[in-house]
Amino acid sequence: MVNPVLLIAVPLGLAFMVPLIDSASRKLTRFVPVAALMFNLILCIRLIPAVLENPIVINLGGFTPPFGINLFVGPLGLLFAGLISLAGLVVSIYSLSYIKNGPVVKYHMLYMLLLTGATGVVLTGDLFNLFVFFEILCISSYALVAYHGDRAGIESSIKYLIQGTVGSGLLLIGIGFIYGIFGTLNMADIAMKIATVEQSTLFVPMILMVAGLGVESAIFPLNAWLPDAHSSAPSSISAILSGIAIEVGLYAVARIVFTVFGISDIYLFFAFLGILTLLIGEMCAFAQSNIKRMLAYSSIGQIGLILFALALATNNTVTGGLFQLVNHTISKGLLFLSAGYMIYRSGSMEISSLNGMGKRMPLTSLAFTVGAFSLVGLPPFAGFPGKFLIVSGALLKGQMVINILVGLVLLSTVIEGTYFFRVIQALYFKDGNGERKRAPATAVTAMITLMILIVALGVYPKFLADFLSSASSDLLDKMSYVGSVLK
Amino acid sequence: MSFLQNNIYYIGAFGLILIGLLIVLVKHNLIKVIIGLSIMDTGINLFLIAIGYLRNGTAPIFSSPEVESVLMVDPVPQALVLTAIVIGVAVLALALSLAIRLYKHFGTLDLRKIKELKW
Amino acid sequence: MTGMEILLLVAFGGVMLTYILGRISSSLRNTFAVVLSLVLVVIIALMYDKTGETIFYRGFFGIPMSFRIDALSWLFAMATSVLGCLSVIFSLSYMSDRKNISFYYSMLFLVNAGMLGVVFSGDLLSFFIFWEIMSWSTFLLISFNRGPAVAAGLKYIIMSIIGSMAMLAGTISLYTNYGTLNIADLSHLTVSASPGYQLFLLIIFGVAFGIKNAVMPLHTWLPDAYTEAPSPFSAVLSGMLTRMGIYGFLLIIYVVVGAARFLHAADSTVSSFNYVLAWLGAITIVIPTFIAMLQNDAKRLLAWHGIGQGGYMILGIAFGTNMGVAGGIFHTLNHAIYIVLLFMSVAAIQYRTGGVRDLNSLGGLIKKMPVAFIGALLGICGLIGVPLTNGFVSKWMIYKTLISGRAPFLAFAALIGSWGTILSVYKFLHNIFLGQLPEKYRDIKQSPFNMKLPIIVLSSTILLFGILPGLPLRVINKIVVSFGFDSLNISLWGIVSESGMLNTINLFAAILAGLIAVWLFFRIGARTIPVKQDDNYAAGAAVPRDRYSYTAKYYDPLFRMISPYLKDIFNTFYMKIADLTGYLSNGIRKIYTGYVGNYVMYIVLFISLMIFVQMKWSPW
Repeated sequence: MVNPVLLIAVPLGLAFMVPLIDSASRKLTRFVPVAALMFNLILCIRLIPAVLENPIVINLGGFTPPFGINLFVGPLGLLFAGLISLAGLVVSIYSLSYIKNGPVVKYHMLYMLLLTGATGVVLTGDLFNLFVFFEILCISSYALVAYHGDRAGIESSIKYLIQGTVGSGLLLIGIGFIYGIFGTLNMADIAMKIATVEQSTLFVPMILMVAGLGVESAIFPLNAWLPDAHSSAPSSISAILSGIAIEVGLYAVARIVFTVFGISDIYLFFAFLGILTLLIGEMCAFAQSNIKRMLAYSSIGQIGLILFALALATNNTVTGGLFQLVNHTISKGLLFLSAGYMIYRSGSMEISSLNGMGKRMPLTSLAFTVGAFSLVGLPPFAGFPGKFLIVSGALLKGQMVINILVGLVLLSTVIEGTYFFRVIQALYFKDGNGERKRAPATAVTAMITLMILIVALGVYPKFLADFLSSASSDLLDKMSYVGSVLK
Repeated sequence: MSFLQNNIYYIGAFGLILIGLLIVLVKHNLIKVIIGLSIMDTGINLFLIAIGYLRNGTAPIFSSPEVESVLMVDPVPQALVLTAIVIGVAVLALALSLAIRLYKHFGTLDLRKIKELKW
Repeated sequence: MTGMEILLLVAFGGVMLTYILGRISSSLRNTFAVVLSLVLVVIIALMYDKTGETIFYRGFFGIPMSFRIDALSWLFAMATSVLGCLSVIFSLSYMSDRKNISFYYSMLFLVNAGMLGVVFSGDLLSFFIFWEIMSWSTFLLISFNRGPAVAAGLKYIIMSIIGSMAMLAGTISLYTNYGTLNIADLSHLTVSASPGYQLFLLIIFGVAFGIKNAVMPLHTWLPDAYTEAPSPFSAVLSGMLTRMGIYGFLLIIYVVVGAARFLHAADSTVSSFNYVLAWLGAITIVIPTFIAMLQNDAKRLLAWHGIGQGGYMILGIAFGTNMGVAGGIFHTLNHAIYIVLLFMSVAAIQYRTGGVRDLNSLGGLIKKMPVAFIGALLGICGLIGVPLTNGFVSKWMIYKTLISGRAPFLAFAALIGSWGTILSVYKFLHNIFLGQLPEKYRDIKQSPFNMKLPIIVLSSTILLFGILPGLPLRVINKIVVSFGFDSLNISLWGIVSESGMLNTINLFAAILAGLIAVWLFFRIGARTIPVKQDDNYAAGAAVPRDRYSYTAKYYDPLFRMISPYLKDIFNTFYMKIADLTGYLSNGIRKIYTGYVGNYVMYIVLFISLMIFVQMKWSPW
């Protein structure tokens, strides 16, 4: 059997090898992330059958839990790890030609560190370890946002850094409280002991941790860094930030709220928060004329939708939320990647400068269109099954409040459709000038891969849904989590 | 008085955290904000140490067989703090280097004037 | 594989193939397009009188997705495929000098395939999926012409998404309540549903189908979309695509909810829904028809009529007797035929005049384009409901229903609508074909054969269905019976009902006799002097040709009288809502001020608020 530790160890090791490899051969540098993530993806796929049978628990250093640090590779963690490897792989293929100028070596190194951090967050079973991986993720993304070193990049990076540091500080305080109360950092151990403590004492640590992670996962009102950072980062990094970083933050929130605390009184509050995030994100996106900012706000909206779905905490909605999450990673990635080359060609991020792109870059425009359709939730693309599951799960709860919230979800879809269709019209039905020039082969490969995935998931959602369903029970079934860690 | 005595480290820690947060909130100069973040970090580290601290405790090292573990301070928070300090330093370094670049671009460190990205 | 699966496979496969062939050679693509559309017609024609259901896919979370065929879906599918075929043939020369023709054809086939999917869906999930495919491909075609078409397309897709979301909510609500989406199963299960739930279903699906069918308060997307779409597609849009709303209404009212069983029960919520719907239908007849009269754009005029005629269909369907429903369905079919014919006549004019569709600048084309004239004449006869055209029969049925159903006000509304129709379509015919021929159209040519062919086919169909209405009514009667109504008493040439009968053969004979008499009278009794086309007015005074055109400002006094009352307030209202959303969004995004201190403040405030709430009320 393969050891899941490699999922973290290989990219981490290779990340620090990048400068060495670069000094040996310049050309090879760019392919290091591709190789590492390919390895991770294959590893994830090979782990699927074993994990579906029984979650794998790895005790680092040989201490049995609750002592020492352990990795928990359940269906949920593996889903995220696989998603990170997949999106990371596609984006790294895209970057082969997209990232040409500037400190390329540092880019690839930080890029792999970012993905290592993300993988670590989703696999770890230890709170402090989660914090550490989170910091790896955050610090490398601060640096990558500022990759171009231009005004916007530096400005957004420093703002992101200030908010992110405050957020992680809060998270650490929360972890400190938890350690003070329970004397352990193992998530399963805490989850088991949670009932022994009076609920109200747990409120402050929980809200601190949620707020801390909420900054990274872009929950309203903690998300002000996101539109700046996503819009001024290089498009490949925007795709990763939008597709991976905030999702990982959301994973951490969900893990802590569901598995560690698991007190259902608070779930409805998160549903409201999700809807609020959704509406505000979509409305802000509606008012944008800058395409990357629009996509960034749309990510906020999608995160809100996913949070809403997760917060309803039934198997159906969580499956739907995870489906939507997968869809968001793929579609938003595709949108950022295709927008990236369109911006590169037109030299401006204004939507009006993309007029007539359908003629100049047909495939890239098609990719954008597919991504947009999928994100709006039109069949037969991947967004529809997710939305279907979320809405059906929510209506199954049969509560009036939730029915109204579902109405708001559908309303926000209308807003979302409006601004996406506006862009699609600009691409295809407005006249622009400029020569016809294709995106390079690597970028096209990346986009076509994502498009195929979107259509495949939209046409045959069952392919993923079964796995997602066990992932959702991994998230919701606290007792089996505890049981499999503390044997 | 005993309340103060028992909780002096916590009070100090949260005092530092709040001071740091206040600086971040009210100061406009980027360097001061970074200092605020740093103070907050220090406060958090102190808080973590205080959790595991035992009055008159010894270092958590089994130097001789008769040392009893009951009297030791908790080693875990100390390990945590070591890591947290390293992370804090990394963030600090990154922030300061960004500040240098920011000054090159904008000619100011006043955060109220650095508002090109908004809405 | 059953016929339906093959059909849909052909329909959807053709979409890709058309585009690929278009990259190779345009003549190959054109041939393929015509063959494909003919193949679809043949396959559907072969399915006549079949019923059945097959599950074709279980990949969507295991929800069985199925195709279903019965008389209702066959009728709509047949109309869709025939009109689609004619539209493709018509497009061959109409679109020949445009850009992106391959895209146009493949989208046209996608719309067609979507519609076929919708009518053959045996469950609401595949219904929704095909519906959405149909909606977004329509969007891509409406905006095809660029310019003002872009705004029209956006308006369409926004309303369309609103409708789809309503439908999605309804569909999923059914799924969560009954655990199935199969239409046949649902029709058994909804019997036991509470009246409130039935009403909810009807309203939420009613919004979706009302938007598609442009029922009065939800109609605003239609005039722009019809006007700006490429003309052959406007024909498909008005003939079939909009009428998918009628199909949907039939499906939800009479199949899913199964209203025929308790429509006339005293405490039924369905009957109150239908009552409101009937009134909406009546309003939809009257107001748009008069707005149509104000239009000077030929396509826009037809577009408003499209809305108005939709009102007749709704009125018939909502009234809920066997005659009314049959009349509504028949009118849908008839409307499809004559409105497509009218749009094609306009398109033929546009093709030859270089895209002119302004009624004030056309005129006198009767001699230049006789086929288009015949088409337009028969089309407006059908639209008005002149005896011996198909529109007469269906309108007769609807009037009959209203009068025998003791609904004089609704009947009166329908009647007013007919007056308005007569006035406005006379303007249409006159301003294009009669009167003086403008100088610049002096050497205009006939339309090419592939434009004439669809016009001739449709014109003869109008007469055929007008004289022998029993042909389509036989199928429609099956539909009505399958809804649970009593069978109509139909013969090949008419209908017998308890309070009167329609016999088109007698009518035919009477009119023929009248015509012969008139002809004889004028031939023998009167002296006529043939005059030139441009010499037949102004009492013989010579008028410079280009300075005077009496087709301009037609009905001007009437305009001044009624136009203050006919503002499209709903459009203004929706635009206000859109603006409001814009302002609101603009306001909301101001919370991201750009100053990082504020952002940190949000974080701190969030935590403080949470802790405050917890301390104060301790909800947790």
